Amino acid sequence: MNPYVLMILISSLGIGTTLTFMSSHWLLAWMGLEINTLAIIPLMAQQHHPRAVEATTKYFLTQATAAAMILFASTTNAWMTGEWNIQQLSHSPSTTLVTFALALKIGLAPMHFWMPEVMQGLDLTTGLIMATWQKLAPFAIIYQISSTTNPTLLTTLGILSTLVGGWGGLNQTQLRKILAYSSIAHMGWMIIILQFMPKLTLLNLMIYIIMTSAMFMMFKYNNATKINYLTLTWSKSPVLATLTMPMLLSLGGLPPLTGFMPKWLILQELTKQNLAITASIMALATLLSLFFYLRLCYAMTLTLSPNTTNTSSTWRIKSPQMTMPLATISTLTIMLLPITPTIFSLIM
Amino acid sequence: MLKILIPTLMLLPTTWLSSPKWLWTTTTAQSLMIASLSLTWLKRSAEPGWLTLNSYLAIDPLSTPLLVLTCWLLPLMIMASQNHISPEPINRQRMYISLLISLQVFLIMAFGATEIILFYVMFEATLIPTLAIITRWGNQAERLNAGTYFLFYTLVGSLPLLIALLILQKDVGTLSMLLIQYSPPTLLPSWTNKIWWAACLLAFLVKMPLYGIHLWLPKAHVEAPIAGSMVLAAVLLKLGGYGMMRMVILLDPLTKELAYPFIILALWGAIMTGSTCLRQTDLKALIAYSSVSHMGLVVGGILIQTPWGFTGAIILMIAHGLVSSALFCLANTVYERTNTRTLLITRGMQTLLPLTATWWFIASLANLALPPFPNLTGEMAIMASLFYWSEWTLILTGLAALITIIYTMYMFMTTQWGPVPPSMNNIEPPHSREHLLISLHLIPILLLILKPELVWGWYY
Amino acid sequence: MHLATMFNSNLAVILLILATPLLMTLTPSPLKNWAIRVKTAIQTAFFASLFQLSLFLTQGLHTTTTSWHWMKISTFNISLSFKFDFYSIIFIPVALYVSWSILEFALWYMHADPRMDQFFKYLLVFLITMIILVTANNLYQLFIGWEGVSIMSFLLISWWYGRADANTAALQAVIYNRVGDIGLILSMTWFVMNLNTWEIEQTFSFLNDTPTTLPLLGLILAATGKSAQFGLHPWLTAAMEGPTPVSALLHSSTMVVAGIFLLIRFHPLIAQNPTALTICLCLGALSTMFAATCALTQNDLKKIVAFSTSSQLGLMMVTIGLNQPQLAFLHICTHAFFKAMLFLCSGSIIHDFKDEQDIRKLGHVHALLPFTSACMVVGSLALTGMPFLSGFFSKDAIIEAMNTSYLNAWALTLTLLATSFTAVYNFRITFYALMNFPRCIFLPPPKEDYSPVRNPIKRLAWGSILAGFLITLNCPKTETPILTMPMTLKLSALLVTILGLLSAMWLKTLMNKLPNKSPASNTMTQKSKIPMDNPAKIIFNFSNLTGYIPTIMHRMAPKANLTMGQLMATQLMDQTWLEISLPKGITSSQLPLTKLTSDIPRGMVMTYLTTFIFTTLLSTLLLILTQPDLPILT
Repeated sequence: MNPYVLMILISSLGIGTTLTFMSSHWLLAWMGLEINTLAIIPLMAQQHHPRAVEATTKYFLTQATAAAMILFASTTNAWMTGEWNIQQLSHSPSTTLVTFALALKIGLAPMHFWMPEVMQGLDLTTGLIMATWQKLAPFAIIYQISSTTNPTLLTTLGILSTLVGGWGGLNQTQLRKILAYSSIAHMGWMIIILQFMPKLTLLNLMIYIIMTSAMFMMFKYNNATKINYLTLTWSKSPVLATLTMPMLLSLGGLPPLTGFMPKWLILQELTKQNLAITASIMALATLLSLFFYLRLCYAMTLTLSPNTTNTSSTWRIKSPQMTMPLATISTLTIMLLPITPTIFSLIM
Repeated sequence: MLKILIPTLMLLPTTWLSSPKWLWTTTTAQSLMIASLSLTWLKRSAEPGWLTLNSYLAIDPLSTPLLVLTCWLLPLMIMASQNHISPEPINRQRMYISLLISLQVFLIMAFGATEIILFYVMFEATLIPTLAIITRWGNQAERLNAGTYFLFYTLVGSLPLLIALLILQKDVGTLSMLLIQYSPPTLLPSWTNKIWWAACLLAFLVKMPLYGIHLWLPKAHVEAPIAGSMVLAAVLLKLGGYGMMRMVILLDPLTKELAYPFIILALWGAIMTGSTCLRQTDLKALIAYSSVSHMGLVVGGILIQTPWGFTGAIILMIAHGLVSSALFCLANTVYERTNTRTLLITRGMQTLLPLTATWWFIASLANLALPPFPNLTGEMAIMASLFYWSEWTLILTGLAALITIIYTMYMFMTTQWGPVPPSMNNIEPPHSREHLLISLHLIPILLLILKPELVWGWYY
Repeated sequence: MHLATMFNSNLAVILLILATPLLMTLTPSPLKNWAIRVKTAIQTAFFASLFQLSLFLTQGLHTTTTSWHWMKISTFNISLSFKFDFYSIIFIPVALYVSWSILEFALWYMHADPRMDQFFKYLLVFLITMIILVTANNLYQLFIGWEGVSIMSFLLISWWYGRADANTAALQAVIYNRVGDIGLILSMTWFVMNLNTWEIEQTFSFLNDTPTTLPLLGLILAATGKSAQFGLHPWLTAAMEGPTPVSALLHSSTMVVAGIFLLIRFHPLIAQNPTALTICLCLGALSTMFAATCALTQNDLKKIVAFSTSSQLGLMMVTIGLNQPQLAFLHICTHAFFKAMLFLCSGSIIHDFKDEQDIRKLGHVHALLPFTSACMVVGSLALTGMPFLSGFFSKDAIIEAMNTSYLNAWALTLTLLATSFTAVYNFRITFYALMNFPRCIFLPPPKEDYSPVRNPIKRLAWGSILAGFLITLNCPKTETPILTMPMTLKLSALLVTILGLLSAMWLKTLMNKLPNKSPASNTMTQKSKIPMDNPAKIIFNFSNLTGYIPTIMHRMAPKANLTMGQLMATQLMDQTWLEISLPKGITSSQLPLTKLTSDIPRGMVMTYLTTFIFTTLLSTLLLILTQPDLPILT
């Protein structure tokens, strides 16, 4: 792709999200979302093979639907209450509509179906953007409307997403799909706490972005898109293979790794709200996700696979890719739990 | 506390910076120094209450023996692994030792924690290194299944515990072990509280393990390399017992009635797992099932909640920790020579390795709780407290004791006695390292006979 | 005061002397003639123990010392506490004397064994644990000795550990003993929970206000296991797989009497409890009768002696039941001498006849080994209670006490019958093994003029002749003996013995009619001369197969247990139900959901949008329905 075009696209991507961040007006927020979507579409389709195009189309259609619904709901709200401010979403059918539209945008169950398939059609870099940056703008809005949303709805969406994220990932051998389902499960955690402590949603989002980026970068470093490819990592980059195990378990939320921090805080908040049963369901649902993370660990770190898989062996040459970002972010993925109080006070 | 913790952390640079030639020597030496330094804890444990407090860590008579056991075990694990890890590339050796060290760090922090939630985090944290040890350095393909069982059994048990702890924090306002005993939660026998009670103990019951939720343990033991088996049997199971003793004092009025089915299940389990031992063909599985059987008694002793029960439980935990670890080491010496753990093949060892046979004998005797080994003191105390609760439990505990002696002696006889199979004619002679390893297990046990108060926990 | 100190420290001296050879093995260079030093140590210890004995006899000293507080749980103390009274002070010299002889004999018997030093070490450790057992005043200490002797017996029975038979016998011994231990553990837990003490002396002070049947039952069970009473008896005969010195020391004179000794120690409690007394009496009578019956038709020399030991142990139990602990103890002491001697004689014969133990193949021993034969006859006579040999003093007194008591007539009859059987099987040994013509090849001809053979046997023979008299002379009578009784009663013990002897001789004439093969092989190979419905045959089978007990206890029970272990514990529970209910159950319940979740999106945009619209509509509708006052339009 032409670097100038790429620059324009990437800056629009940034601008779209930033616009949504900054706006307090529904129309402007919607515009930001649309710019963001339109900017990523060419990035997704930059490789001209049918899968990418298909993924792009699917993405475009779903996002357009969601955006249209947001527009519709905010207009209705403005019509009913005369208020365009995002935080003043007081008309409850509109709230529901907006919630669902945003749920579709970030891929919450049962509106998650597009997510794994779109991810599967992308290359890893775009996938990284899709799983991280693209979540920011919708969450900016979600965060702002958190006080007016319907709690039952959010709880249902949250639990359902966590479960579906777990179940969906169990059957996959494609890494991008696995990450998509992992993303769905994490979204569930973020949504369920939204009504009680939106700050925790942000914290969780932040940690999620760190962890997911680490995973994507690791896969990118290894050029791996299937579990099969991972089995030969140990011969190529043994340190990374070793680090992957705690990274994956962190993604699964095992203490004392970073991933445990948001889960701990969320569970604490839920129990404070006397929602022990919900908390238990959420906690146990992570075990489903943990199972497929564990399978990745087995494939990558814990077994030394002889080169008899049906993948072609990769050359053992030093990768030209930068390792510094990967190193930083994987350290963050593993080691953040002890500084929980600092992070917590930063967010609050 | 930091006197031990920081040197333990400094073992990591030792591991990674020492030259390959000296790797095992330096790590063993340093960890052994840490272990001997940790013995100073014992000196002060006779005083009741918390000692060497800092913000998060402290010791009390209950945790001291377990902490010392943890520190004592690291050099032994390093020594035991030397033979089968040293042929590997140097970085993997270092990684392996680092995992063992990290395990010790986590365990020290778990046993030393004054906040229950810190204990919980460290309790869970031990899973990761153990999982890596079992599944990365195990020998057979089944190790992956074993790892999954290990991880998921523990987690299914412990996630409810996390919720239960958070509820406790919400109700009482603190999770500090120093404070919470002054404001224990008021527990009415409602359904909510009963479920909460179960959630508080489930994690530890899985970890012990209680009969019925023990399947992960034999699998993990069978598949783990020697250091994994040692640390599992010696310390990790004891995390369960320790946690139970810490929790059970908070759950007071409820435990009295709710514990009955668990006590009976534990004792019944001691018999059932004992019967399973009688038919085991795999040496390590036999020792693993024997652990389950002994831990059943510990569960009974803790849940009965009398001073005798607690005392017996902690004595039995320490004694069993040393003994079962020694048995695993012995099984490993057999395994490293014959490459099999099948009882039928490894016979007549006494003719070939007479001194090792003596170690086997002493370890077996300790395992079957021969007086005056501390194992017996522990079992007697538990039996006595259970007997006082109901005289009929003696049938269960007595049968368990009978079955224990049968399978232990069966194990001893099959491996050590009988004719020597021709396949064993040219096995390697024992190393001094192995003799040292076993004697470092058995000497503490023998010394504990003389001064058992050291491991008596609260009620000295 | 000094006398008392010397008296108390005597045990320390004995133990030190015994431990010296053990400590000597710690030197790095191997010692020569170590075994002989062990023998010397025991000999020295015996003479040292005589000091205490003489103090006891002259001054009547008896003490209880508590030396070291070992451990303490709350208010409960366990301390090292020794009791030196009539029983322990007499028993230690007896045990040391017998051990001295046996070890000297073992020097000859085991001289070809490359691990002879180890053998002596085991015996020495055994002796030390035995002394701990008899001197203990604390139950825990007693338990240490109790378990110590059973473990040493485990090791010694299986001395030839390459033999499967020996291994099995050792395992049997340890299992049966453990069953008894459960009883001891029961009593210990009872004492600690109800009386808060394990000091034997202190338990007696709670006599009146607590019902003690339960702990006493535990103690009786313990004694049943250790002293091979009926029900837990098979291990004793199986233990004959061990070397003969082991049988002589452990399985006749010292270890097996530990159970009886325990009951003697607890006699003040038992005496108060009629239930326990009756149980002891009946159990003892049954044991003595059963073992004597079994001894009648055995063909293995050592087995016959072993069954006779079992029978005598039953007799001791009967005496406990008669509330006569002193007589039981007397019988323990006298029995130790002649039974050890019988075993040594058998050992000498077996060794000389190239490990031939079957009395049908022996014969003519009296001419070949005259000294051994003579001693064997002395031992047999002492065992049968020939007047003025040492067995007479204890056995006769027991029968007498029984006859004059008003206790269970059934038990009395059985015991008398067993007493007469004693004569029968002893006659049988003498007849088959010692008399007649040789029935096997013995080359080179047996010799017995080695001093390690002759001296010990001789020493024990003197013991068998004199010990009863000496001990009875010095035994303080606690209960008034009945001075007048009818002549028939007084002579009844002798009469039944003579009767037994006569009937044995009469049976010999019928010898050809009784099959001498074991019944199992008989039915296989040849038509039996006596049909199966013949009661004699049935009794013979019963006796020869030792009451079918081994079949029941060693075939069926382990089979049932192992099958249960396999089918129920392993396969049904661990491998099936627990797998299904937790891991596999959870897996299979998640699988359909997993499939569903990954099957629904078939890559169709339609699916995405349909679910979106459907969900949105549905929840909006629900919202409206649940909140009817919602302003939708307007």
